[in-house]
Parts: sequence; C-alpha cells; structure tokens
Amino acid sequence: MYSSEVISVNIWQMIISIANLLILFFMLKKFLYKPVQSMLARRQEIINNDFEEARKAKDDAEKSRKKYNEKLSAAQAEADVIVSDAKAKAQRKSDKLIANAKEKADEIMDRAKADAELEKKKAEADIRNEITEVSTLLSEKILEREINKDDHRKLIDSFIENLGDSYDGNQ
Amino acid sequence: MKSKKKSSKFRLVDGFLLIMMIIPIAFGMTLHILFNPPSNGIEIAGPLVYFTIPMPIQPLPISESQVNSWLLLISVFFLCLYLTHGISAKRPTKRQHIVEWGIEQIDKLVSDNMGEFFKDFAPFVAAIMILSAFSSLMTLVGLYPPTSDLNIVGGWALLVFILITYYKLKCGFVHYLKSFAEPVAFLTPLNVISEFATPVSMAFRHYGNILSGSVISVLVAAALQGLSSMVLGKLPGFLGQFPLLQIGLPAVLSVYFDIFSGLLQAFIFAMLTMLYISSGFPEEDYRQKLKRKVTAN
Repeated sequence: MYSSEVISVNIWQMIISIANLLILFFMLKKFLYKPVQSMLARRQEIINNDFEEARKAKDDAEKSRKKYNEKLSAAQAEADVIVSDAKAKAQRKSDKLIANAKEKADEIMDRAKADAELEKKKAEADIRNEITEVSTLLSEKILEREINKDDHRKLIDSFIENLGDSYDGNQ
Repeated sequence: MKSKKKSSKFRLVDGFLLIMMIIPIAFGMTLHILFNPPSNGIEIAGPLVYFTIPMPIQPLPISESQVNSWLLLISVFFLCLYLTHGISAKRPTKRQHIVEWGIEQIDKLVSDNMGEFFKDFAPFVAAIMILSAFSSLMTLVGLYPPTSDLNIVGGWALLVFILITYYKLKCGFVHYLKSFAEPVAFLTPLNVISEFATPVSMAFRHYGNILSGSVISVLVAAALQGLSSMVLGKLPGFLGQFPLLQIGLPAVLSVYFDIFSGLLQAFIFAMLTMLYISSGFPEEDYRQKLKRKVTAN
C-alpha cells in the first residue's frame, strides 16, 4: 500500500479513463437521453393531437354557426315573404271590396237616377194630361163649344211644346 | 384519472435506486478510511494505490482515483435510473422537470457552440460535464477526487484529441495535412506544436486546478494549525491543542476550491471540447465534398 507520485503518467490508467468516459457517454445516451427524448416525442404527439382536436372542434362550431345563421336568414326571408303575401292578399281583398262597394254604389246611383228620370217623365206626362184636361175644360167653358177633341189636343200639345221649349231655352 | 399519490411499489423502487446511488460512495469512503495511512503533518501525495497489475509496457496500478471513478459511474447509473423512473408525458414528476431542464440546457449549449451538425454530441458533452463535476465534488465527502489525477483527465483530453483529429480527417488525409500549412507555410511547425498542445493544456489545466485547490487547502489548514498552537500553546492541557483558528477559513476555501472551482473546471473542459472539435472540423469543405460525391454518383 503506497501513494503514487503527484505527477505520474500511466498509459493503462489513461485508457481506463477513456473507457470510463465512453461508458458514461453510452450510459447517459441509453438511460437518460433516450427515455427523455421518447417522452418528449410522445408529449409532442399528445400536444399535436390536442391541437388537431381543438381545431376540428373549432371548425365544427364555425360550420354549425354558419348553418344556424343561414337557417336564421332563410327563416327571416320566409317570414318576410309570408308577411308581404298576406299584405298583398289583404290589399287585394280590400281593393276588391272597395271596387264592389263602388260598383254597388254606382248601380244604386244609376238606379236612383233612372227612377228619378222615370218619375220625372211620369210626372211630366201626368202634368201634361192634367194641363190638357184643365185647358180643355177651360176652353170648353170659355168657348162654350165643343172643340174638336183632336184639334184641341194638337193645339195644347204644341202649346206645351212651346212652353217646354221656352222653359228649356230659359234654362 | 389515477390518483396523484404514488403507489407503494413505486416508492419501493425509488428507495432502492436511492440506496444504490449512495452505496458506492459509502463504499469508497469506507475504503478510504480503512486503507489511508494516518498522515503526519503536511503531506502532498498522489492517489493511494491499492494493488498493481503487471501489464506490458507499464504495470497498471489500481489506485484510489480509478476505484472512485468506477464507483462514481455506478452511482451515476443509478442516478439516471432514478431520474427517469416514473417519467411520463402527461403527468411529469418533479425530478422529470429537472431532467428536462438540464437536457434542454445541454442541447442548447451544444447547438449554440457546435452547430447543428454536432447535435448528437449532447450526451458526450453531458458525460464530460457530469464525470468532471462529480469527480471534483467527491472531495466534499472526503474521497480522493479522480480529477486531481493526471491520468484520468489526460485520458479524457486524449479522447477529445482523437475526436478532433477524426473530424479533421473527414475531408481526407491530404486536406488534413494541408490544414497545418495555413495561413502561411512557414507556420507549419507551430501549428503542429499547437495541435499537440491542445490535449496537454486541457489535461493540465483541469488537473492543475483541482490539485492546486487541495494543495492550498492542506497548506492553509496546516498553517492555521501552526498559528493556533503558537497563540494558544501556552494554555494548559486540552485547550493548548485546540485548533481554534482552523474554524471558518478552511470551510470558505473549501467552498471555493471544491465546489466553485470544480464546477467551473467541468464547464471549461466541456466548453473547450465543444469548441476544439467544432472549430477543427472544416464544415464548409466537408459539405462541398459531399456535394461532389452526390454529383459524381
């Protein structure tokens, strides 16, 4: 048992030292680097998967949002169509009603007018007859003689005619 | 989801690995205590030689530094197993964070200093760092640090030299010879000398730093002992022998020489390894050679 010199060179010891370093190198590579690196690779894989899933979920959400929006706008359009249809229908109905009413009113008006005309004509004829009769009576009384009834009528008629003419002319 | 609490089997394996980590160091300490002759006074000697094996050229002494290196290897082996035990991608353990951080740092260091081509050198650099640092730190438990044996550090430097030359030879032998004549032809002898000076300087730097630390520690401790016996020697009995002045300063020196210097030398050795290998390798020429080969085929 002895201590070696402080500075001593021994080739075998150097070789053993090199071997030690190489052994440690392979040891670290196999037992420290390999497990850690495979773990890191696995973790990277997990992270990638998570990202992929998240992206997919986001895409899905985006898609369904778009779909929903589309549906919403379609429903809106449909509602618009229904409302405008209903409006048009109502308009048409009211137009029809108004037109009918107008027609009826016109009809009534026409009938009333015709009635009035008829009434007027009747009255005119009545008045004419009355006047004729009255004037005949009067003339009979005045002349005390029988005028030929036909002549008389002619006379009166022409008189009334003139009267009417003058009346119309005054109008 | 499994509970965060670790199973008893996991704990058992953990404990076993930890014990296996400590046993080699304890064994080394026992050997040191059993076989180290009691020192009297100032003694600066090399590692203790347990026995010698006759070999051609030179006999091989199995010294304390050799044995300590092997014990350290066993310890580091179990440390690796302990650190990677229970490693998982989803629920990292506490030690896993440390391992990941360390490996990341070493990878970054290597790719920063050596470039992408030498990316696979990370475990080698880690091996140099771990071996050197832990060897130097062995003084903390009273063991002889293998790094203060020239043969140990010389072996590493020799391996680095072989690697440097291997990567220089990648472009062919003629290219390797020509590289000595650069930048000017008459500098060739100096280049040859500097080529061989590289491993020698690396070995001596590391070895000298660690050994000088121990030497200075021994000298200071002895000096303080002398001083305290001078000051307190007149006191009767036990008090006269009490090494009062040895309290404090040696501890501070130990922190510097054993911890700081040891780690620093490990880092320096690893840095120099990376720089010498990557700067010696003519990467541009090698790429051109590869390209020529591809086009020739």
